Amino acid sequence: MVRYVRLLQLFFRTELQYELEYRLNLVLEIIQTVVVTGTSVAAILVLFSYTTILNGWDLSAMLVLLGCFYLVQGFGELVLQPSFEKFMEHVRLGTLDFALLKPASAQFLVTVRNFQVVQLAQMGLGAIVVAVGLSRIPSIGLAEAIGFPIALLCGFGLIYALLLALSTFAFWFVRVDNLMALYWSFMDAGRFPVDVYPGWLRVTLSSAVPIGVAVTVPAQVIAGRLDPLGLGLLILGTIAAFVLASWFWRLGLRSYTGASA
Amino acid sequence: MIRTYRALLVAQIQAASQYRVQSILWMLFSVIRPVIFLAAWVAVANSQGGQIGAYDVRDFAAYYICLSLVSNLTMSWNAYDFEFEVRMGRLSPKLLRPLHPIHYSVVENLVWKLTTIIPLAIVLVFVAITFDARFRTTPVHLLLFLPSVLLAAALAFLSGWALATLAFWTTRVHAVSTFWDRAAFIFAGQIAPLALLPGPLQTIALALPFGYILGVPAEILRGGVTIPTALQLMAGQVVWVVIFYFAFQRVWRVGIRQYSAVGA
Amino acid sequence: MTDAVVDVRELRKTFRVTEREEGLAATLRSFVKRHRKDVNAVAGITFRIEPGEVVGFLGPNGAGKTTTLKMLSGLLHPSAGEASVLGYVPWRRENAFLGRMTLLMGNRTQLVWDIPAADSFRVLQEIYRIPEGQFRSTVNELTELLELQELVHKPVRNLSLGERMKVEFAAGLIHSPSVAFLDEPTIGLDISMQVRIRRFVAEYNRRTGATVLLTSHYMDDVVALCKRVIVIHRGRLLYDGPLADLAERMAPYKIITATLHDGAASSTDLDAYGTVVSREEGRVTLRVDRQVAAERTGRLVNDLGSRLADISVEDPPIEEVIDRVFTSEQTTVSA
Repeated sequence: MVRYVRLLQLFFRTELQYELEYRLNLVLEIIQTVVVTGTSVAAILVLFSYTTILNGWDLSAMLVLLGCFYLVQGFGELVLQPSFEKFMEHVRLGTLDFALLKPASAQFLVTVRNFQVVQLAQMGLGAIVVAVGLSRIPSIGLAEAIGFPIALLCGFGLIYALLLALSTFAFWFVRVDNLMALYWSFMDAGRFPVDVYPGWLRVTLSSAVPIGVAVTVPAQVIAGRLDPLGLGLLILGTIAAFVLASWFWRLGLRSYTGASA
Repeated sequence: MIRTYRALLVAQIQAASQYRVQSILWMLFSVIRPVIFLAAWVAVANSQGGQIGAYDVRDFAAYYICLSLVSNLTMSWNAYDFEFEVRMGRLSPKLLRPLHPIHYSVVENLVWKLTTIIPLAIVLVFVAITFDARFRTTPVHLLLFLPSVLLAAALAFLSGWALATLAFWTTRVHAVSTFWDRAAFIFAGQIAPLALLPGPLQTIALALPFGYILGVPAEILRGGVTIPTALQLMAGQVVWVVIFYFAFQRVWRVGIRQYSAVGA
Repeated sequence: MTDAVVDVRELRKTFRVTEREEGLAATLRSFVKRHRKDVNAVAGITFRIEPGEVVGFLGPNGAGKTTTLKMLSGLLHPSAGEASVLGYVPWRRENAFLGRMTLLMGNRTQLVWDIPAADSFRVLQEIYRIPEGQFRSTVNELTELLELQELVHKPVRNLSLGERMKVEFAAGLIHSPSVAFLDEPTIGLDISMQVRIRRFVAEYNRRTGATVLLTSHYMDDVVALCKRVIVIHRGRLLYDGPLADLAERMAPYKIITATLHDGAASSTDLDAYGTVVSREEGRVTLRVDRQVAAERTGRLVNDLGSRLADISVEDPPIEEVIDRVFTSEQTTVSA
């Protein structure tokens, strides 16, 4: 609905206005992001000083993957992490009720409410790294160019579903920092292609904690390694994950408001 | 002082039992980072016939297991806590007592490590079996490991506190911490064993303190360096501990003076 | 008879709470077997509120007031019973219903901390789909009534508690609701702010005709605003009728507290003036019939003369009134 798009713009704009007032903070954050991405690229280069190919991924493809990693992680830190952290605080303080009193989807009002605009820098740097990686690839077909943003959006959707499911536990346990630690530590694994990892980790990163899939698949698409069937499965998987997580969240909400099962 | 420490320890153990589950979960998740880089190096090694320099796949496994253990034993998180305490005004009551605030931190640190080391060791045993890790440790190596890891922990702790003291002057300690952490990321032995860092990077790594916190004790434990080399590296640890000991003392004294002047 | 704005029938809410005794043994036992107890927060209440009324919902802490309001605003599902507000079933949380009512919770803030209230208002405008013209006129009116001119452009965190409450009020009413549920609106505020808020609510009701249901454990809130009062205690409705009748009927007395100079308290015989409730430290508390309270006070002042250091005449505390309502012969008192 148009209204929700307008609301999203409002949420973003108000946060942006607020962050712009703290220019030094903004500059420092951006510098930090540059340092972090730079050192991560350096790490990749160290690995590739000993080889030209890693599990079928060459340097260009690895850079694309790293870029996708920062795009996905950046998206998470841009809007999802701030919103879900705020949501858990609401449950703790009893201020979640205010979202329930409004004539709009509570899930929307809660899960994409808070932005940390400066994380756009992380996403921007991710895009740059992707571009650098792509510059070394001879040609990119139309299918790849279309598939990439779709796969990336699916990646965003998967992360949303994961965080939604994790934070829903706050309805019952209030403090779910431990579960969030699960997200942060597994997110780190997104910096390498998911096929590099030993069996149990690879499976986890492709299903229950789909971070590996969220990052690796878009990279595979644009590097010309993914077939349409795989992309289709990803889209279906994302929709399923979203529906499932939303259902679970509504369950938590019903429990919170004392609706009988 | 001993009695004070005992009292603090008892109190901290009671407090820590409240968030025991949390500590263990955090520790479990911290194993993921070494596993990630281990997997990457295994892939690199496999592309080169199974050997990179002096490391084959089993050596890499042993290295990262040792790294994970050392990481846990040297972990220090003071910069974040300290800045928080200064901002929240929780530091002042501590300054009123005849005990340097650092001692609370030491005890907290110790207790956390005591809580998490056994579960971590169990997890690492599983990793060792899965990857068929090969350790080249000799009894002498083990003997040297003890002082080495103690030096490393002291170094991590002191350097962390020196950094944290910046909180007296700025609220932007977080930015400085990021630079420090990322330098450690490259030079401490996380992304690669120090011996495998390309030429110039390796030289820099040996000149900076980061490697002496993680990479050095990890290699000693693994048995990846000769005894003479180990002793040399430990000497380097001593040097850095001394440097940061005095650095911390200095910064703290100046910082405290300016903190009280402004109105604690 | 007009359609009631709020129509409640046998509304009930029971909570399951787990109880655990202290100590290690009990903790271990609770891992295996949880001790559950049913708490009747609201034990079957019935009432109707007509449009434009300002009704006070009185009761001590834990009486069930907030729980009732939460059910009427749709935040909680009842365990049994029915309710309709503006013709809607509240806990269905239909958008049309949510857009026409508001719940203000005393010490909780819905405004975003770091940005000026004016920005939060804009977000609310979008959420409630308020047309620009109506939005502007409502904001102007609320700004005028609550004296917000200086406040709306400052970040909310920079406002004092009282200022924040005023802005919260504005935020809660920005969509011109027909029904306003106010839960402990003056809690934590200083006296002058309490008075201002009460005046505002009265004026708002007068101007807009909005129906107001307010809960409080401060008698003063209710005295200032409500002609009709509903008393709730331990989840049960004990009284529903004119405020004027409540105290008079249930606790037809006043409390006179006389502070006497050095030691005179213990020795002076004051039985002639009223029932002595307590003697301590130079203070004597008397219970006196309402009708004669003024006259007795005058006599005390005259007779004690210079031995009297201070004297106060007060209504009995609300808990006492309610205790009396609860322990009276009838379980409910009709108006």
